[in-house]
Amino acid sequence: MANYGMAFDYKLCINCHACEVACKEENGIDLGAKNHRLWIQEETKVSGDFWNLDRDKVEFMQMQCQECQDAPCMAACPNGAIYRDNNGIVRLHKDLCDLTRACMSACPYNARYVDEKNHVTDKCIFCADTRLARGETTTACQITCPAKLRYFGNLDDPESEISKVLSSRKHFTLKPEKKTKPKLFYLE
Amino acid sequence: MNFIKKIIPMKDFTLKSLMTFEKTPLNILMFILTIGLLGAFGWGVIEYLIHSHHAYNVTREHPWGLLIAMYIFFVVSSTGLCIVGSLGDVFGFKDYMAMSKRAILGSIVTILAGFAVIAFEIGHPVRMLIYNVLSPGLTSAIWWMGTLYGIYLTFMIIEFIFLMRNDMKNARIFGLTGLLVGLAAHSNLGGVFGFLNARTISNGVFYPTYFILTAFITGIYLTYLMYGFRYKMNFPEEIKKGLIGLAKIQTLLLAILMFFETWKMMTGIYGGMPGRADVVEHILHSGGFVYGEVLCGMLIPFVVMLTTKWKSINLYVYASFIGMIGIFFMRYDLVHDTQVKPLQMMKLTEYQLPPKWIEYFPSAAEFAIGFGAIGIFFMLYYFGQKMFDLDGGDH
Repeated sequence: MANYGMAFDYKLCINCHACEVACKEENGIDLGAKNHRLWIQEETKVSGDFWNLDRDKVEFMQMQCQECQDAPCMAACPNGAIYRDNNGIVRLHKDLCDLTRACMSACPYNARYVDEKNHVTDKCIFCADTRLARGETTTACQITCPAKLRYFGNLDDPESEISKVLSSRKHFTLKPEKKTKPKLFYLE
Repeated sequence: MNFIKKIIPMKDFTLKSLMTFEKTPLNILMFILTIGLLGAFGWGVIEYLIHSHHAYNVTREHPWGLLIAMYIFFVVSSTGLCIVGSLGDVFGFKDYMAMSKRAILGSIVTILAGFAVIAFEIGHPVRMLIYNVLSPGLTSAIWWMGTLYGIYLTFMIIEFIFLMRNDMKNARIFGLTGLLVGLAAHSNLGGVFGFLNARTISNGVFYPTYFILTAFITGIYLTYLMYGFRYKMNFPEEIKKGLIGLAKIQTLLLAILMFFETWKMMTGIYGGMPGRADVVEHILHSGGFVYGEVLCGMLIPFVVMLTTKWKSINLYVYASFIGMIGIFFMRYDLVHDTQVKPLQMMKLTEYQLPPKWIEYFPSAAEFAIGFGAIGIFFMLYYFGQKMFDLDGGDH
């Protein structure tokens, strides 16, 4: 089976939020719902003193579930509702979620939120119920991104685009000190 | 009723005798307070049933709020009273024998009040009960804590039955087992926070051990309050002896707690670990910690007990009341401080400053349910006193 992951050429982001819109459309997220499944964060590096402040650099970071290989949310769930499927994606048995929100407290990336429609916690699952279920190896955010900065595919396949880009370019993961081994990579 | 009396000896009572009490100013105040708190609890529950979690001020960034703090407050009290109750009937310290029945009843009613709070905090409490058995998450500290507390409550009830029957041999067996299970459950509750890899301030061994220590301290505070109310400050000799002993133990425990806290803060700040050092500094500047935890929870009772050389029992009842206010702040701060550091330090929208600390203040419904559960404790304890003979205990 595939072992899906994602890489971001994050410096190419133009902060258009098309990925968020596509995700909402694909996964039935309410319009206006903030930071559900994926979102863009802005980091501004400021230098200088007062009166002469300068914004050196603005970076936009693509944020979503980091698909940890050692996922703290899975370990924290009291009902065993969170599991890893055959594609390596961390999923949720919705019928088992009792909404203790232990997973939300345990996630170092703030990736989980309460899905008000189903009254369970939720997060990005790489469009597993829609595109992957139809046999497509794409996600709504990846296919929509005008800067084409998202690479999605099978990390175990050396011929996949994501494997090639990861083998040829320097990359980093978020909060490596947490030892969660994310499968989302940010390209230098 | 006769069938129940065969299992557990009870006083003779009628519905009328349960509802009547001596009309002293303190009793009337407690009655009004209890009714008010129960009314608040009921209103809070209705708010929750109508608006679900929207009735609470918890957010995605701060998913655990006052109700989690109050749940911890009650279960810590329960474990503490269980420890105090065990001193006599499990470990055989004669001075504390007379306290066992009242302390064990207290441990049962406090944990029931805690369960009443958590039932309205969890999104699907019935689902939790079902899948706790059918699909246990063995890697989850919450699963172990919940399961062990369920077993603990069962053992406490059985121990109480044997205590009421004056069957000390069986009471000791179930008391010891209940105590061990209770301590395991309680340290697992500390583990819920200790395992949080995402929250550097709570991650580690501190909370699982700190919880046991503060449970014992809470148990002694509550024992003082229960006996102060029971005897209206005119304590009989056998109780006096036990209370003086508890005051000495309390002074030692408070000294150890201050030692623990000092080193937690010292290593937090000077260890310099990002996500811990800055949060510790933030905690040290918060009123809840300084005035609530340190002053009320530790310093005032400690100084009062030390300077009066464990002779002024009446004063210790008031000191224990102040101490319990401090214990509340310890629980609230524990939950809030765990989540106060934002997990994402970047801006989420244009023209916004990067988040520094997560803000949280409980909603009216959270206050109503959280503090209203104290009314459940008062009510259950009152009925327990009316139904059972809790004083004849020096076996």
